[in-house]
Amino acid sequence: MQITGMSWGAQLLNYVGYPTPEVLGPDATREQIKSLIDRYGRILIKPIFKGGVGKKGKAGLIGFATDVDTAMREKERLFFVEHRVGNIRAKADGVTFEGAIPAEHEIYVSITDDTRYRAPTLTITHHGGVDIEELSADQIATIPFDALTGFKGFIVANALDRIHAPKEIISPLVQNLPKLWDLFNNYGMSVLELNPIRMMPDEDRLIPVACDFKCSFDTDDPNWKRLDLPGSLESTDYSTFELEVNELRTYQGQSDAFVINDQGTVTAMTFGGGANALVTEMLGDVGTISSDFGGNPPYKKMYDISSIVYKHWLGQSNVLFIIGGKANNTDIYNTFRAMGDALRDYFNQYGAKPLFVVVGRGGPNLIRGMAYMKDVLDALGLPYRMFGHDSSISGVVNYVKHIDTWMREGGQAEIASQMGLGGSS
Amino acid sequence: MSHSSMHRKDYLRPRGLEAFQHYYVGIESLAELATTDDRVCVLNILGSESRSVTPTSHVYSGGNIVCGTQPGKSGSSLKTEIGDIPVYNTVVEAMDAGHRFNVAVVYVPPSGVKDAVIEAIRVNPKLTKVVILTEKVPLKDARIVRQYGQQQGVDIFGANCLGIADAHHRVRIGGALGGSSPEESLVPGSVAIYSNSGNFTTTIAVYLLTAGWGTTVSYSSGKDVYIHFAAPEFTNAFHNDRRSRAAVMYVEPGGYYERDLTFHKPVVACVVGRWKDRLTKACGHAGAIAGSGDNAAAKERWFMEKLGVDAIFTEDNPVCSAKGAVVTNIAHIPAAMTAVMSQSGFIPDFEPRGNLSLKCWFADDSGIELPPQLDIRPVEAVSPYREQIEIVNRQVGIILPRQSMKDASGASMMDPQTQVSRLQGVSVLDAATRSYEDNLVLSLIREYPNAGGSALANVALNAYVNLHGSPMLDAAAAARTAGNSPNTSLCSAVSILGPGMVAPSREAARTLIDLFRETGLSDPEDEKFDISEIMKQASYQEQAAKLTGETPDARGEAMLTGIKARGVKSIFVQLLRSLAKQSGRHPTADAVLAAICCHLAWRPLVLKRLSMTTAVNMPWHIRVFSTMVGASVRKERQTADQFGGVDNQELISGWSFTETAYLALLTQRPGEDELFAFSILMGLTVTNGPGTISAQGAKGAVSADGPEVPERVQINKAYAGFLTHTGYAHGGNGFEAMRFLIERFGSLGVKDPGDPEHGLDLAAIAADFAKEFKVYKTSAKSAGNLSYDKIPCVNHPIFKGKDVNYDPREVYVHDLFRSRGTYNLFHEFYHELVKALAAFGVSRNVYCVNVDAVIAVILLKMLWKPFVAGEIDDRFLEYGAFTTFVYGRVAGDAAEIEDHLNRGRNMDTRTAASKCQFVN
Repeated sequence: MQITGMSWGAQLLNYVGYPTPEVLGPDATREQIKSLIDRYGRILIKPIFKGGVGKKGKAGLIGFATDVDTAMREKERLFFVEHRVGNIRAKADGVTFEGAIPAEHEIYVSITDDTRYRAPTLTITHHGGVDIEELSADQIATIPFDALTGFKGFIVANALDRIHAPKEIISPLVQNLPKLWDLFNNYGMSVLELNPIRMMPDEDRLIPVACDFKCSFDTDDPNWKRLDLPGSLESTDYSTFELEVNELRTYQGQSDAFVINDQGTVTAMTFGGGANALVTEMLGDVGTISSDFGGNPPYKKMYDISSIVYKHWLGQSNVLFIIGGKANNTDIYNTFRAMGDALRDYFNQYGAKPLFVVVGRGGPNLIRGMAYMKDVLDALGLPYRMFGHDSSISGVVNYVKHIDTWMREGGQAEIASQMGLGGSS
Repeated sequence: MSHSSMHRKDYLRPRGLEAFQHYYVGIESLAELATTDDRVCVLNILGSESRSVTPTSHVYSGGNIVCGTQPGKSGSSLKTEIGDIPVYNTVVEAMDAGHRFNVAVVYVPPSGVKDAVIEAIRVNPKLTKVVILTEKVPLKDARIVRQYGQQQGVDIFGANCLGIADAHHRVRIGGALGGSSPEESLVPGSVAIYSNSGNFTTTIAVYLLTAGWGTTVSYSSGKDVYIHFAAPEFTNAFHNDRRSRAAVMYVEPGGYYERDLTFHKPVVACVVGRWKDRLTKACGHAGAIAGSGDNAAAKERWFMEKLGVDAIFTEDNPVCSAKGAVVTNIAHIPAAMTAVMSQSGFIPDFEPRGNLSLKCWFADDSGIELPPQLDIRPVEAVSPYREQIEIVNRQVGIILPRQSMKDASGASMMDPQTQVSRLQGVSVLDAATRSYEDNLVLSLIREYPNAGGSALANVALNAYVNLHGSPMLDAAAAARTAGNSPNTSLCSAVSILGPGMVAPSREAARTLIDLFRETGLSDPEDEKFDISEIMKQASYQEQAAKLTGETPDARGEAMLTGIKARGVKSIFVQLLRSLAKQSGRHPTADAVLAAICCHLAWRPLVLKRLSMTTAVNMPWHIRVFSTMVGASVRKERQTADQFGGVDNQELISGWSFTETAYLALLTQRPGEDELFAFSILMGLTVTNGPGTISAQGAKGAVSADGPEVPERVQINKAYAGFLTHTGYAHGGNGFEAMRFLIERFGSLGVKDPGDPEHGLDLAAIAADFAKEFKVYKTSAKSAGNLSYDKIPCVNHPIFKGKDVNYDPREVYVHDLFRSRGTYNLFHEFYHELVKALAAFGVSRNVYCVNVDAVIAVILLKMLWKPFVAGEIDDRFLEYGAFTTFVYGRVAGDAAEIEDHLNRGRNMDTRTAASKCQFVN
């Protein structure tokens, strides 16, 4: 789960009393917008994107207005605007109207866990408002801090001192930035980034107003659910398949699956993170999904996952591929029984499909598991090859790719006719 | 003295190794990771994962686990082969009980991990290592665990890891490295393994064996964002471990753990996950989501620089240096290790064990032909798998998982849209174009026989059709005399054909299958197949007695003569002949029947499409088929030598069973057209799915005997179930249509209903009837009589409300006859009739000619001439229609019986009392 932009960002920051400009959503009336302009003099109109989309300013996706008509024109221009960064494409859905903060200084701040220090780490620079990657190392301070005590004002002071930040910004940041730790730590975030924070003059001091917001939540931490964010905020578009599989996400056994190619023809039930990486990489575009179902899932969970995978992908698949290394703890009999039963039930429910089944696996109860699967496949009349753990996984993946090609070139029709499918009815 | 062995509370602030200035690390050498002195407490020891893993670790390590905790389970224990491990509510309680340990292994669910670790460290000052197996620990908790361990001077491993194993020490701590038989994968040698993937830790160890490399320490680091004991600590300990001459590091994208490593010993680095750049979400390992600086490509570069190579090591391009190599495929690790080590003059630890080539353990082609390069045949597996596979392979035929088969079938299905049913995957429309004997064989072996198979089936079926002198014939005759319906009299005959009567043939079938099961025979027609070895076994007294007798068996001889006359080759029959010749004995009829059944069943048996149970039951089914046809013929028409006036041997040697059935019913051998029509009749009726009453009867009979003990199920009783579940309404209603047609045409002087030049105006006859019927119906209804005579065979519930009033089965048959230039006056009339009924608005229902009408019109056409000549009467027509239906349907029910027997559970067809209703 990721959130970008001030529409939700301002609300989250307000929970911890961090200063934000006034932000109006897409439904703002002309009167509300006029009032905002009256108070700020100038407002920004920003498209609302789902997920972490950067470089909006550079792409001309931020509008400015000092009158309501311009604001409404910008709203119209940006409401459904499309934006591409690298190969990620995003489409806006709405805009925000934000009071413009006049400022001399723009600050970049992020909190994340940095593997170089194996600790929560503050990254800060007063050369903000640009991509952090564009700055030289001496312009940025990266300071790990104690997870037990959290993020304190002195950490900010030390950091800003190190990069020779202007004195007038230090105190307001020291006062305000530690509030971000409460947000980060209490709501299960893995990344929090404000860029820019604009140092708004207010009488004789500066207020560090957050003008853009980005955060990611740790999916393993239930704390962010306390925020009651609407599900529609979900940054990435999950497919129905992914949503169904994610429902089964419990700590007992992995159930990670992602769509690689919705036109793929090999559906791989993969066990183990390592096998997942290897198999997904080698299958490339012929694979439908990338999955990791390792971690000794109980029968019921494995059956449910298999049913979902089969329902979504077997219809278009040439090869059902069950692959993993030599399992340490995953019970092969248990998992194979679940996959076999689900396959049989799939055939019963959706009708027979001409598939070739390839298995590569090792682990506890291996032969019992293979024998069970074999009985199921024999009963369904599906051809198969099962390889032990002393066959290289990559060799098995290559075999699968050859079988897939053969299936495309007539093998599937041959199996179909052998199974009595596609004849007269 | 190493730091780790010091008491950590010796210092106010823990001081770790000199090599790590900024954080605490206590482990100096890999040799300290898992030692024989380590004593372990397992937290959440009775959780499902621990319960299966911990006993193996304990036994493998010689009993290194002193206790475990499980809230609320104090006083219980975890059993292992070398003694029970005591369980306590808390660590404090375990310590109070006197247990001392320096390692905590954490299986606690994710939300409890942080607190469990802190508590274990807090109460046990001697604790130096914590291994966290749990997956999906929140990042927030991981931060705290890290910081707390640092403060307290404890080395933490994981989370989401599989722990540590030391092959030299024979100690495994934490998870399940090496699975249930660690010694298989963890063979002492000189290579240390560091792996982000738990599964690949073991897999890499197994792969290394294929190049002769054993292992020192295998360490599964986990791949969360926080890797508590990570690549830098491992590398330092690896350098300080004299046993480890080289290391394999398996790393995934994400994180900077490996960026600043420097190596003083050879390393093979495996970097996998370039494709992950395409993902925006973590899949599998939480920490394996990378930015631009720590993706797989970047990591490949880091290692290539460190190891002084300019390319990835592959089989075709084995780039390496004395410092090491980078691979992107774990299968290349063994070769890379050997290549790297040879540059320093090191040779592998031992002879290679196995190899990584594709070794297929189970294969099946389900009857298709794979191109040679894809047709990888099974090879002998390594022990102990070889022995286990042998046991599986000794199993001939399929064993189907059992489930409730109430209203379910793996043999038949009806498409509710079209009403076209399938038997063993074959549409009844296709079945209608096949011979009766082929459909009977299909019902049992789930595929059609080839020409040789059909010929053999005809020999067997015809050999047992003559029931002269048998109690079956007497029973049928007695039942008929008592006025029973045809199905009831057939039932009486079949009921007598009990297990005792078929025991010798079933035993012979079992014997033959046993003799051939491990010979690799695939084509039973291959008479060149070498049976010399089988002959030796078959000659043993016990086997020979089951297949041959002292004296010639007339029926057996007749069957062998028939087989010869038909020119069929069969290795099973060949075996009987050879055995008889060698021993001077004579094949029994039971053995020949069994040989024929084995011949028919062999291919599906080998292809695992048929069960051994069904193969052994086949002689019984064949006997039932023959008995049903035989018992439908009156006693007077059966003598010792002749059936229906035809010599037994002539039937066995030359007749098809379709012809015999025709002879039984219609007293003569059919011509080509009659045979065609008769086959269609029976083919169309083979099945109507598992919901039909006849199938329910058969299934109920099997269910009541208890299919979970298949030997006890009486096949003939199952047919009795089928036969008692047919009747005047189900099976006999074709007769209604015949009577209706006779009423219309009996007085019109039709001589040959096959002659299109009959001179009748069918449309006008139909129109007259429709008008007449409308008047009748209206008056009957207005008189309040709702059970007025309906027109038979023009209704179908499925086609109600449709514009098109065609039953697809009827259309198919109509077209089939038309394509042969065959005309049927009655069939054409029926078409005119439904049109007229629609035209005159007789009902809001849409009428169609249904399949029962098809049966009636075909049969009536066949019987028309003898009927108008007065040779047969109404009763005969009824008997004929009913028996024809039963003949056809027996195939479908044979399939249901075997299906239920193989898949069903005891008494699975009953309906729960809660689903039954009481009515007044």
